[in-house]
Amino acid sequence: MINPDGASAFAPASSAGAADRTGPRTRSAPRVKTFASELPRALLVLGLLSGLVYLYSGDTFTLNTLAAAFLFAGLSSAWNIIGGFGGQFSLGHSVFFAVGAYTTANLYLKAGISPWIALAPAALLAALVACLLSWPVFRLRGPFFAIATMAFTEVALALGNYMESITGGTRGMSIPFRLGFANMIFRDRLSYALLMLGFAALCLLVVLAVHRSRLGYYLQAVRDNEQAARAAGISVLRVKLMGMALSAALTGIGGGLFFMQVRVADPAALLSLFEFGVKFALIALIGGLGTIYGPLLGALVVIPLESWLRAELGGIVPGANLIVLSLCLILAALFMKHGIVGSLQRLFTIATRRIPR
Amino acid sequence: MSGALLQVRGVAKRFGGLVAVNDVSFDVARGELVSIIGPNGAGKTTLFNLLTGQLAPSAGQVLFDVQDISALSPNRRAQLGLGRTFQISQTLTSLSVVENVMVGAFLHHRGLKDAARRAEEVLHLVGLADRADVRAGILTLSERRRLEVARALALDPQIVLLDEVMAGLNPNEVQEVVSLVERLHAEGHTFLVIEHNLKVVRRFSERVIVIERGAKLAEGTAEDVLADPRVVEAYIGRKRAT
Amino acid sequence: MADLANIVAVGILLGGIYALVSVGLNLIFGVIRIVNFAQGEFVMLGMYGTYAAYTFLRVDPYLALVVVLPGLFLFGAIVQRLILAPLRTEPTMQIFATFGLLMLLENVVLALTRGTAYSVTSVVAQTSIGIGGVQVGLVRLVALAAATGVAVALGLFLKHSMLGRAIRAVAQDRSAARLVGVNVDRIYMLTFGIGAALAGLAGCLLTPIYTLSPQIGTSFILPAFAVVVLGGLGSVLGAYIGGFIVGLTEAFAGYYLDPALKHAVLFAVFIAVLIVRPSGLFGQVGAEEVGLRDQS
Ligand SMILES: Nc1ncnc2c1ncn2[C@@H]1O[C@H](COP(=O)(O)OP(=O)(O)O)[C@@H](O)[C@H]1O
Ligand SMILES: [Mg+2]
Repeated sequence: MINPDGASAFAPASSAGAADRTGPRTRSAPRVKTFASELPRALLVLGLLSGLVYLYSGDTFTLNTLAAAFLFAGLSSAWNIIGGFGGQFSLGHSVFFAVGAYTTANLYLKAGISPWIALAPAALLAALVACLLSWPVFRLRGPFFAIATMAFTEVALALGNYMESITGGTRGMSIPFRLGFANMIFRDRLSYALLMLGFAALCLLVVLAVHRSRLGYYLQAVRDNEQAARAAGISVLRVKLMGMALSAALTGIGGGLFFMQVRVADPAALLSLFEFGVKFALIALIGGLGTIYGPLLGALVVIPLESWLRAELGGIVPGANLIVLSLCLILAALFMKHGIVGSLQRLFTIATRRIPR
Repeated sequence: MSGALLQVRGVAKRFGGLVAVNDVSFDVARGELVSIIGPNGAGKTTLFNLLTGQLAPSAGQVLFDVQDISALSPNRRAQLGLGRTFQISQTLTSLSVVENVMVGAFLHHRGLKDAARRAEEVLHLVGLADRADVRAGILTLSERRRLEVARALALDPQIVLLDEVMAGLNPNEVQEVVSLVERLHAEGHTFLVIEHNLKVVRRFSERVIVIERGAKLAEGTAEDVLADPRVVEAYIGRKRAT
Repeated sequence: MADLANIVAVGILLGGIYALVSVGLNLIFGVIRIVNFAQGEFVMLGMYGTYAAYTFLRVDPYLALVVVLPGLFLFGAIVQRLILAPLRTEPTMQIFATFGLLMLLENVVLALTRGTAYSVTSVVAQTSIGIGGVQVGLVRLVALAAATGVAVALGLFLKHSMLGRAIRAVAQDRSAARLVGVNVDRIYMLTFGIGAALAGLAGCLLTPIYTLSPQIGTSFILPAFAVVVLGGLGSVLGAYIGGFIVGLTEAFAGYYLDPALKHAVLFAVFIAVLIVRPSGLFGQVGAEEVGLRDQS
């Protein structure tokens, strides 16, 4: 009976060519990357980013840009949990963003609760809203899911403009400038850059934990093939809801932080499809869809590029930043599906293959 | 036979006017290896889908471990111990081979390391250990088939349903899969196998069920069934024609 | 009673506009199985094209059709060839690409016009007729008539012409169509071109009704999705009927509830239908599934 592979389980460990194929029971623990083994790299990346902040700590413009880049790094990482790992193409994340923003602002303004504490109910409420909205919609796939979530944004905008007591209606809502750590209001830009770096760090660590867990694998299984996922005992709906809840909770926190930073916003601004809903997805794609560091890298490229374009061309060509971004989006979809991270990986493989052994 | 692991009670499936499965009943006891044969389009895959929950039966019941599972979702049935492969492999193409199997192993091994360890064991069993870190999307057909079997086995199922796992494999590969199934069967695993290769069926099956036009045509030992003139006419005659 | 007649009239006229805007979207979805997020921008381009013809060539907006239709057909065909054909097997990237196109077109027009709002008048624009005590703008009647005409003509074209039959063959079974000698790639390009030209037609006819702004495309796209989903995915008749459902829903919601909430109501209904019957009220059950399965 010629049966090399099948027989190997019973072959003596010393048999030729079977050195790395010893019997199942004698094998040592397999080389799987865990959260703990991946943590040093994440901390190194975060350390480098802190170094960047330190380097530019005197430059207000750069600090502002960095703060925005970190905010979007976090938001896009959060989107990536359900959009990248889970493959559920949500265009409605600005709704959860706005829920977080209004929860934080209202608790602070009306109940005097410190924004630091209000972020917790903001996250919870965003997750709850996300679950309630997506529960029925998760029956839809691909573009139809995207359309439905896009419609959520529209409904939320109408409601936001209507519910003046919570959102200030079309006139918007503003938070008075009262300095203080407890109020999360600072004069210097460095504090905001650090605040947003903290948010990006939180999101990165959550993403890493999800990716290196059963949930992360289940999300990817659902993305790749729902039928196979079900046959493997995965409750597809529950996995999608869990991914969505986590993603929305982080997005809600981001919304709260954003509102406390800008201190004035109306529903149209918070629920803007281009400025938030789509941008989360766009950054993730450009960085690397469904990768751990992609959204972070994407934000560090896209946001500074945008702020540079706005500064250079904003007055001359209105919408110049969005023109460039949309070109990047189309080109990335056509030629760089795995984003910056994917391209770097490919370069790395080519480079290492070229080196003679 | 009321204690059999899997009891199929008069299941039927209609697609509009087409009756794909028509009042099929049989049992599979723990530790058995039962084959299902029948011409293409007879309704074998549809029957599997009724057993594992991808489709809801139009009539009839499926009992597993004396529990009626007819209304349960596919994932609930997998959790209870029904593992299966698909005729058209359903590979998780963006994950690596070992990660594909881990997705199955997670059912009973929550931790990442435990699941990975279990997955590697199973990969050894099916002879894919040296491909563990390859992206599953680039596997050959025969490797994909074995990967499907591995993912099903990683569920630690009480019964495994294999849908034409040998189709499209060369004789050597068929030999490998056959001895894998025989070995696992000898270890006490229960199998229900859809198979076209009659040589294979004759070799391993204690019991063969013949499905034709959605209905059960015959059931019995391989010798008896394959000698039955009705089966020869329906199955072999038809097969030669296609 | 007069109120009711008024609301129904408003709803039906609005429905005509929505139907007109959606027919192309549904044709593209039905045949190529692509959800074109940029379809509203094609309408917007049609409107600006009409404006350009009106200002520079001094022709009546309705006459601008002669330039706008071929222009958008060409544009659509090029977009399909360059951007969508390479992404045939990748639904996620199609979403990114057509959404990118939406953003690109809107902001390019914004940059070119610097956000100035334009409006165009036609001799027809000032006229209104009374029908049973309800005053109806003639431009809206024209749009309604055009929507009806387009639905009928497109239906006849698909049923009886050679090209139309080839398009239907591709829509039903791409590989079978290829086997019998249909050039599927060419059909895709032509269909997308026709879909874009239909958007251009809508743009032309709507120019006298709406004030032009770069954002107007985006404001059409969600109602158009609603029309397509409510009426039935991939069906010409569905898009026509869906237009009236959406128009009437919007008119009634705007009247009986707060006008500020009419969109919220409309999209809530839309999402509900999408969930309960994703193939639409008149579509073939499973149409949306077929499209997705095909691609993966
Ligand atoms: N989802 C479905 N919808 C309609 N008809 C189906 C469906 N699945 C299978 N069929 C039909 O049911 C019959 C049995 O198919 P199948 O179970 O795949 O046969 P087998 O696996 O024995 O070759 C075939 O005629 C097939 O066309
Ligand atoms: Mg079959």
